[in-house]
Amino acid sequence: MIPASFEYQAPKTLEEALRLLERHGDEAKVLAGGHSLLPLMKLRLAAPRFVIDLGRLRGLSYIREEQGQILIGAMTTHAEVETSSLLRAKCSLLAETAAEIGDAQVRNRGTLGGSLAHADPAADYPAAILALDAEIAVASSSGTRTIAAQDFFVDLLTTALGQGEIITEVRIPVCAAKTGCSYRKLHQPASGFAIVGIAAKITAGTGGKIADVAIGVTGVSPKAYRAQAVEKALRGKKANPKLIAQAARAAAQSVEPLSDLHASAEYRREMATVFARRAIEQALARAQGKKA
Amino acid sequence: MKLQGTHLLPETPQNVWDLLNDPARLAKVLPGCERLDPIGPDKYKVAVKFAVAAIGGSFSGTVELREKKPPKSLTVRMESRGTPGFVTGEGRVELAAKGKQTELKYSGEAQVGGLIAAVGQRMLDAAARRVVAQVFEMIASELKKAAGEG
Repeated sequence: MIPASFEYQAPKTLEEALRLLERHGDEAKVLAGGHSLLPLMKLRLAAPRFVIDLGRLRGLSYIREEQGQILIGAMTTHAEVETSSLLRAKCSLLAETAAEIGDAQVRNRGTLGGSLAHADPAADYPAAILALDAEIAVASSSGTRTIAAQDFFVDLLTTALGQGEIITEVRIPVCAAKTGCSYRKLHQPASGFAIVGIAAKITAGTGGKIADVAIGVTGVSPKAYRAQAVEKALRGKKANPKLIAQAARAAAQSVEPLSDLHASAEYRREMATVFARRAIEQALARAQGKKA
Repeated sequence: MKLQGTHLLPETPQNVWDLLNDPARLAKVLPGCERLDPIGPDKYKVAVKFAVAAIGGSFSGTVELREKKPPKSLTVRMESRGTPGFVTGEGRVELAAKGKQTELKYSGEAQVGGLIAAVGQRMLDAAARRVVAQVFEMIASELKKAAGEG
């Protein structure tokens, strides 16, 4: 449980961090909260020569609203996301999702940016980030750019982040009126990771119809994805339990579910259906102003 | 862990067969392969650096091709050990002509043990799929390159 030796670097500014990352290339790993990277290093499954700790950077930890978007600094911890009154009021899905991550220790140290950059196939945030159509702002020594959530998750532990890029901010559009969200998750009992995690965002229309819907799925396949078949089956339709149950069946339709000690592919597919139904029902009830 | 699937490759079975039986070219299509040295008929010593993002480790061991029926089928047997554990496995590869292309069918079973299995169990399936996908991408590009040169 002792990591291979590495050189620790603790830049004080983002610019300095980006310079270091550019200089060391793939020999360096960026350390945010350390709750994914450090366990891997202790097990020597990861052995970077340089660790660039973002812990001393100021100004990357905030949650604020600006021009119809909620901006969250990359170093904001899960606990800060979970307890943010702004998020609870305007984007409860992310706060609700953060509350489901690991345990209190993990939530107190782990960060939004760190979790997204690591892209664990069973991480919770990706489902919500996808359902919310978030944008991920990144910086490198040559400039900044934003990546749409849909384009961000590429494969197992692989994102659209380039070699010298660091996530700086996550931007979430404030939800439209009459919008309800829900994150429902089947926990792996030992690690707390999602065997299946479904984030649903639903905007209620007139006459009991579903005006808009977005479903993000994590834990089921090597990368998180939007369940577009489920969305299509619900969008513009008048909601009823049968329709929802039917639509939820497509939650893992487009993927070949993962199989491991904790859950077979068949079980994951089935649970994706069950938890999609629950998330949709709860999000819809909230969108319609019912207690759920 | 069971692995199986089929994959369409852009060349004839004979060309695919030639690639699989040429150590210099075989080494090019194994992701992270650092060495593939013949140590006997159809037996090679290998060193592979396996990595998915920042996670990985070095493995070394042997690869053996058995039960060869050119250009139709062969069995691959592999044994390797490394810092994060061991991987052994055996798989059957079958080649069938599909027009000018080759349908490659594979099925096998791998045993993964040690640290990598104990802590990486959750990601083994996804990691294995990724390596298999990489192998086929590299085979396809190596075949195209050879066809271009020929």
